[in-house]
Amino acid sequence: MRKKWFKRAMSVSLCTAMMAGTLAATAVTAQAESDFDWKKYEGTTIEIQMVQHTASEAMVKKLEDFEELTGIHVEYSITPESSYFDKVSTSLASGSGSPDLFMSGAYQLWDYSAAGYVEDLDTFLKDPEMITPDYDYDDFVQSAVNALKWSGVPGDPVGAGQQLGLPLAFEVYTMAYNKKAFEENGIEVPRTYDQLLEACDKLQKWNGDNSYAVAVRGARDWGTIHPAYMSMFAAHGAKDFAIEGDKLVSQVNSPEAVAMTEFFVDMIKRGGSPSWSKYTWYDCGVDLGTGNAAMVLDADNNPVHQNWEGASEEAGNIAFAPLPVAKEGDPQISNYWTWSVAMNSASQNKGAAWYYIMYFTSKDFAKYATIEGNSLDPARTSVWESEEFKTLMEGQPGYIEAYEATINDTTILFTPQPYFFETTTEWAAALQDIVAGKYDSVQDGLDALKEKMDMAVSDIDLSMY
Amino acid sequence: MNQQLTDSSKNKKTFRFLEPVLRNLGLTLFAMFALFPLVWMVICAFKSDAQMYNTIFRFTPTLDNFRAVLVGTDYFKAFFQNLVVAGGAVIITVIAGVPCAYALARYNFRKKEDVAFQILSFKFAPEIMVILPIFLIFQKIGLYDTYFGLIWVYQLITMPLLIWVVRGYFEDISIEVEQAAQLDGYSWYEIFFKTLVPLIKPGLVASALLAFIFAWNSFTFPLILSGFKIQTITITALRYIASDTVHYGQVAVASTIAVLPEVIVALFIQKHLVRGLSFGAVKG
Repeated sequence: MRKKWFKRAMSVSLCTAMMAGTLAATAVTAQAESDFDWKKYEGTTIEIQMVQHTASEAMVKKLEDFEELTGIHVEYSITPESSYFDKVSTSLASGSGSPDLFMSGAYQLWDYSAAGYVEDLDTFLKDPEMITPDYDYDDFVQSAVNALKWSGVPGDPVGAGQQLGLPLAFEVYTMAYNKKAFEENGIEVPRTYDQLLEACDKLQKWNGDNSYAVAVRGARDWGTIHPAYMSMFAAHGAKDFAIEGDKLVSQVNSPEAVAMTEFFVDMIKRGGSPSWSKYTWYDCGVDLGTGNAAMVLDADNNPVHQNWEGASEEAGNIAFAPLPVAKEGDPQISNYWTWSVAMNSASQNKGAAWYYIMYFTSKDFAKYATIEGNSLDPARTSVWESEEFKTLMEGQPGYIEAYEATINDTTILFTPQPYFFETTTEWAAALQDIVAGKYDSVQDGLDALKEKMDMAVSDIDLSMY
Repeated sequence: MNQQLTDSSKNKKTFRFLEPVLRNLGLTLFAMFALFPLVWMVICAFKSDAQMYNTIFRFTPTLDNFRAVLVGTDYFKAFFQNLVVAGGAVIITVIAGVPCAYALARYNFRKKEDVAFQILSFKFAPEIMVILPIFLIFQKIGLYDTYFGLIWVYQLITMPLLIWVVRGYFEDISIEVEQAAQLDGYSWYEIFFKTLVPLIKPGLVASALLAFIFAWNSFTFPLILSGFKIQTITITALRYIASDTVHYGQVAVASTIAVLPEVIVALFIQKHLVRGLSFGAVKG
């Protein structure tokens, strides 16, 4: 009896203690949050250049709230992606401090940080007076924040060094397919490269004369290399560069690279669009939505926009799966893209600019931008785990599963270096030429590409860093 | 013989009857060819994204694209700003360019042709080549993202064209016309405005319209030299190429409305426009 009484007393005490602890912790956090001086930079005006993106639209909708909270006035410009980086590069090169903030991908930040245009955000992240207690840096999808860290030394992988930006949204590379195409033709969704090639043969003209099996990007620019091609390239064990002495040396003609490119070229010839060489993000997504393509190997969020109710003719028929691999059981490797907010190192309003970054990369805003603003993929783990997000994505079968299967082995697979755009544009051109049959073999094409890439990075001397 | 004459007369009558029919048919075909892109753009403006790629003429018309572009966005603000910048640029061009063209046509001074060619060369220079120094200067002197800055830099686009077209018109007018007016007691300003300006009107109107079109459609200058306070319609129209997909219907709405000022102005002044452009075409 005494034992029972003792147990009850202990339980009640423990519960009380736990509740008191929780309440105290909440009170402390709330107190700290309310202590944070959001009005510190009241009266400051900052400028941000944004790209046309769903995340930007969400930011614009919340600007009034931000201005009310902080007293900081924000001026913004939104520019379509095709011209956006010309504008940003010109502005940063002027050294005038305008804009204070800009949106960027990681690859562009390598270029800008090498020129000294980018502020290291660690300065603010490590200053307790400059960060709200509920900011929760650890809640970021870690590969997204790591993709935006770089030492500035060519050849060093991402994930360490300066925090060049903080992520708003990102994308990994998966496969999307038309369920109808596979069901009607009695084909299994491909999990390996061999199955993918077989599906290519079977799905040509699956939905009329203009239809084809698989859409991948093919335009003569860097955008062709970084999605599926680079993901599969790395999955084959191939690398773009290696460090030899004090130099970066291209490895694009290695046996692994040749084998992968032979597979990729074969896939395009057997199942790609006749207009492949002009294909961009838009063409890949649209062809899946119109029922021209049966599969797309591209950013995981691209086909989502074709699959919302009423968005396209094939809306509701689109599903997602991880990228095929060489053999079943191989790890799902994917390259990475992330849209982030970065700070101009010449900004005269760094404190206010940081407040902007903190507000618009917070958990609350990430949830708003994703759920209300259709900004995918969210850079916050709490959003991925939220019921609202899971409910939102119920109509996108396999999307979350493909992401979960891929995210652990997802990182930027390129070697960071300041000539990224020159080298990848050459790469895309070489791929086009190989598909067009301008070389006797894939090996010849990649040998020629290696020479061009070596030339492009020839002035990088690693002993100078 | 008589029979032959009758046949020939019949053939002539038939040809006289057929000629206007064939001519109109040809013109109709050409008009269809020329207007088809505009018609296609208008059709796209009424199509939903879902029906954009898989329908041609039979579709369910929707006003959603108009709603998306016109309601709750800054499209009209961009439209107005473009009007101010392009209109302002043309006004400055006319005010400064006509006297300049007159001077190049009438006065002889050292290096006259070099100066004229220098002005023309502004038109040849690729905008992207000169944009960085202009950007830096504008940032320094406070003209970045201002109406005045854009109107000023647009003179590179509008001024050379107008000066060269109008100069040709002044050169075609005999000097005796001015001398006769002087003898009649007119001052130089009266001669200029009452005699010369009416004579150059076709060329002035045509070149001013072309200058307006070039300024209205300018992309690179407003892309780099403005953005926070001023955004022209050429930049805004591209915003419908969104990150999720290309909203061609919305692009079509934005473009259809954007061409209206050019079409309306061209219709109003088409009499002068045809004369002005054809005069320019045959001038030696």
